[in-house]
Amino acid sequence: MKYMNIRIVIYGFIMCLLPVCTQPVFAQQALTAEDVLERVDRNLSSGTRIVESSMTIHGRRTSRTITSKGWSQGDKRSFTEYLSPASEAGTKMLKLEDQLWIYTPAADRTIQISGHMLRQSVMGSDLSYEDMMDDRKLSEIYTARITGKDTLGGRNVLVIEMTAKVNDVAYYRQKAWIDEERFVPLRQEMYARSGQLLKRTDLTDVERIQNRWFPRTMVYKDMLKEGKGTEFRVISIIFNQEIPGHIFSKASLR
Amino acid sequence: MKKFLLKGILHDRGRSLVPVFVVAIGALLTVFLYSWVTGAMGDSIEMSSNFNTGDVKVMTRAYAAEADQIPNDLAILGAGRITEQLKNRWPDMDWVARIRFGALADFPDREGLTRGQGPVAGWAIDLLSANTKEPSRFNLPGAIVRGAMPSQSRECLISEELASRFDVKPGDSFTLFGTTMEGGFSFTNYIVSGTLKFGSAGLDRGAVILDIRDARSAFCMDDAAGEILGYLPVSYYDHKMAVAVQSRFNADIKEFAPDEEKMFEPVMLTLKEQSGMAELVDYSKAISAMLIFIFVAAMAIVLWNAGLLGGLRRYTEFGVRIALGEDKGHIYRSLLWEAVMIGCIGSLAGTAAGVALVYALNVKGFDMSGYMQNATILMPSVIRPAITPVVYYIGFIPGVFSMLLGNALAGAGIYRRETARLFNELEV
Amino acid sequence: MWSFKIAFKNLIGAGRRTWLNVAVLSIAFVVIVFFNGLLDGWNIQARTDTTAWETGYGRMTHPLYDPYDPYTLADAHGLSGSLFASEIQTGNAVPVLITQASAYPNGRLINVMLRGIDPRQNVLLLPSRLLDSLPPQAGEETIPAIIGHRMAGACQLNEGDKMIVRWRDVNGTFDAREVFIAGIFRTTVPAVDAGQVWIPLEALRNMTGLYGESTMIILGPWVTESHSMPRPGTLLEGWRYEDREMLLQEIEDVIKAKRSSSVVISVLLLGIALLAVFDTQVLSVFRRQKEIGTYIALGMTRLKVMFIFTIEGTMHSLLAIALGCVWGIPLLKWLQHTGIPMPQMTDQAGLAVSDKIIPIYSMGLILTSVLLVVISSLVVSYLPARKIAKMRPTEALKGKLI
Repeated sequence: MKYMNIRIVIYGFIMCLLPVCTQPVFAQQALTAEDVLERVDRNLSSGTRIVESSMTIHGRRTSRTITSKGWSQGDKRSFTEYLSPASEAGTKMLKLEDQLWIYTPAADRTIQISGHMLRQSVMGSDLSYEDMMDDRKLSEIYTARITGKDTLGGRNVLVIEMTAKVNDVAYYRQKAWIDEERFVPLRQEMYARSGQLLKRTDLTDVERIQNRWFPRTMVYKDMLKEGKGTEFRVISIIFNQEIPGHIFSKASLR
Repeated sequence: MKKFLLKGILHDRGRSLVPVFVVAIGALLTVFLYSWVTGAMGDSIEMSSNFNTGDVKVMTRAYAAEADQIPNDLAILGAGRITEQLKNRWPDMDWVARIRFGALADFPDREGLTRGQGPVAGWAIDLLSANTKEPSRFNLPGAIVRGAMPSQSRECLISEELASRFDVKPGDSFTLFGTTMEGGFSFTNYIVSGTLKFGSAGLDRGAVILDIRDARSAFCMDDAAGEILGYLPVSYYDHKMAVAVQSRFNADIKEFAPDEEKMFEPVMLTLKEQSGMAELVDYSKAISAMLIFIFVAAMAIVLWNAGLLGGLRRYTEFGVRIALGEDKGHIYRSLLWEAVMIGCIGSLAGTAAGVALVYALNVKGFDMSGYMQNATILMPSVIRPAITPVVYYIGFIPGVFSMLLGNALAGAGIYRRETARLFNELEV
Repeated sequence: MWSFKIAFKNLIGAGRRTWLNVAVLSIAFVVIVFFNGLLDGWNIQARTDTTAWETGYGRMTHPLYDPYDPYTLADAHGLSGSLFASEIQTGNAVPVLITQASAYPNGRLINVMLRGIDPRQNVLLLPSRLLDSLPPQAGEETIPAIIGHRMAGACQLNEGDKMIVRWRDVNGTFDAREVFIAGIFRTTVPAVDAGQVWIPLEALRNMTGLYGESTMIILGPWVTESHSMPRPGTLLEGWRYEDREMLLQEIEDVIKAKRSSSVVISVLLLGIALLAVFDTQVLSVFRRQKEIGTYIALGMTRLKVMFIFTIEGTMHSLLAIALGCVWGIPLLKWLQHTGIPMPQMTDQAGLAVSDKIIPIYSMGLILTSVLLVVISSLVVSYLPARKIAKMRPTEALKGKLI
């Protein structure tokens, strides 16, 4: 059984969602962790977003890059279309609430991913469809506290620890290194309930976009496995632009 | 004298027919048994060879290291060229590329939306070439429950249980949702041409067999193959032969992949080197050796007995010959010569008949389906006797030697004969 | 009776010839018994082992459980309530909870099933008691686990090693912990070995948040004997009952296929032996025409003479069986004692193959083989003897060829 690599394509999808869900925030003097998360939110979060991004997957043999364009509105609706390479071009994904459909021109079919498949990290891979659909705000899921200061990549950072306050969350605990000045997370680590480090994300190339600080590059790594991880790069991003409603309908898949 | 004896055997059918017949039948049975045991005892090995390991298998070094995970991202690139080279070098072997995969089968409703889906294990093999032996290797025609073999591209076979679970009939189409070699999405529509019984609960739950050309385009594996399997030109696994092929291939490896990374250069493994087959091979060999020994020994006793009988029934004749003044030693020697000749003629005839029978069965296969409830892929109902060089001589062992031994023992009585008693016997 | 006596005397009188035939026939007889005994033994061993290690004497499974679809595991668990609660209390039934997980032995990723089982259970042969304690060097959070030797080989793990296992709880939250390999067991049943990690049931329930839940309840022999069980495949209090026969069906099928192949070998072997008897009979009829003529002259009917000759030939088989008993019984007993070594292999059907098979010779098997040998030798003895019916006594007396 080896459809685990499906996940790699999904990363692209995540990329367009990620800024919505990765909202650690910040503040300056005497900031509480909540303040920090809120300031991060202001940088990364938006009502709607249109992102063009590329994703580089480091396979064992070759590396390949996939580009996609994603439209998202809030945390409930999103639509992604793959642009390249040719083999993926034209594949579209629609997520509405907790339902997910994939359309491919190759088969000219819309396939719904549901039930057990959503929960399944097939072959025990790092991500499931469900993971990628979980896009609640961090502040809704976690209680946070500032545990210290540090430097990372030449920037001063605040270290924030987050512990889940709801049950249905993929990672019980997270740790984030957040730029003290710009309020952008530069590193995130995900931990199991037992304290075992599971994943690490490094965010770099922080740039000023539409009056926000935004990390253009993100490297995602499963810490239990060997490998170089997966790299995301934002090619272009537009915040808060009106998106026509028909984009988020099954009709737009075809 | 030998010529004279031969003439006697050929002309006096009353004297020679029964012994020749018995020896021939004996030789035939021995040949058949040997061939059957070699073929049938190796059935687990042959199944593994057909289904999984080949007699030899070429994979990339990296793929071989985790073959049980079916890592198609580590598949052989340039499989066409390698297969071509293999074919040129070993033209009498059959070389076939295969791709194994896991995927999700998605069955649509009338509107083309997902009606049901389930995980499947898949084999992509050469189904459509003119002279492909792959369908019979997988026992596909015999294991079809409904429908027929795929006859064109984009047709495939699925397990009967999967089909009935999702109410799929031959002619219906479905989508296979898998992963390309590079990790991208793969969606391809197939038409179910027939359904199969695999005979293993796991595979019957969900398995699909499709043509390798379809798989290559579906999984972006142009000119790639997970594995290239080689089949020796004999119907059983001959380890020596496999090792010879392997060592030559691995010596030539630089020709194939001079520049590539070592991880991805092709390596050849023999059947015996693959997943736990070594002990099975040795075991089957030991068991068949034991069985063959028992058979040949039993046959030898039977023919010895026949020789003995043949000698005994000629006591009267010997009596007359002794009475006529013939030297006892001469009679004995002529008896032995006759035995050798009868043994040879019988063994020759029996071996010829046996080999012909075995050849016929080897080509056709011995269909055991009468004994079995249902033929399945993993439990083929057809057994093929093996043809090895041994079949040409094994019949002679009991045929000639036992005949000789039997006659020698029977003839020993000649020396004990008293002339006085001989005349008694002449009264007849 | 008289004809039996005379046939017997004739046969013994023939000496060496008879004994050669009898020897071959006895080999055939013993080998046939052995072969079938081996298959019966294999069948019983596979059934016994599968029962002892995997299936128990039947089981109640969650209705959503499908052993061939791991996706179902996420939902295939529940509270069994009062179902066999007292049997579970008394140790006559054991609940098992199964969860998919990823194991990371030495940096590799392997998909496994975490199976929770009561360490004090007695229903299955698993050395679950090893799950009851942890050595002091293992950390508080470490979970004791037992795995089979195939799994140990695939992951290159030894007793005392640790590996990280990651799973998701009932809410989908990832959790990961070290498991400590408290024991490695050897079993012939791949289903409880390959890809399976056994841990204490309560630990798995806590880890996943599935408090008190299980995927299946494996029943001991006492339960199925003392309760009136529902029809296999039907639901009892919402749980599906599978009986032993249903769980062992696959073994039955494989053995059936193997048996058909052994039939051919038996037939050929018997064929060889019968050829000897046939050959002897042909010669007897041919050589002993004077004798036949004498019998007839003495007033016996030709049918009677034919009968004597047929009995004489058939008696080979009786002697063969007697001889077979003389050397076969000790040999077969010895083979039963030592067992037949089998190769370590993962059979294609996932069948339990022990490294030694103890052949089992049932009364039925022996009687069938006896009947087979006697009847077939009766037939080959009768065929040449038919000639006698066509003989003219005067000619026969002179010993002339027919």
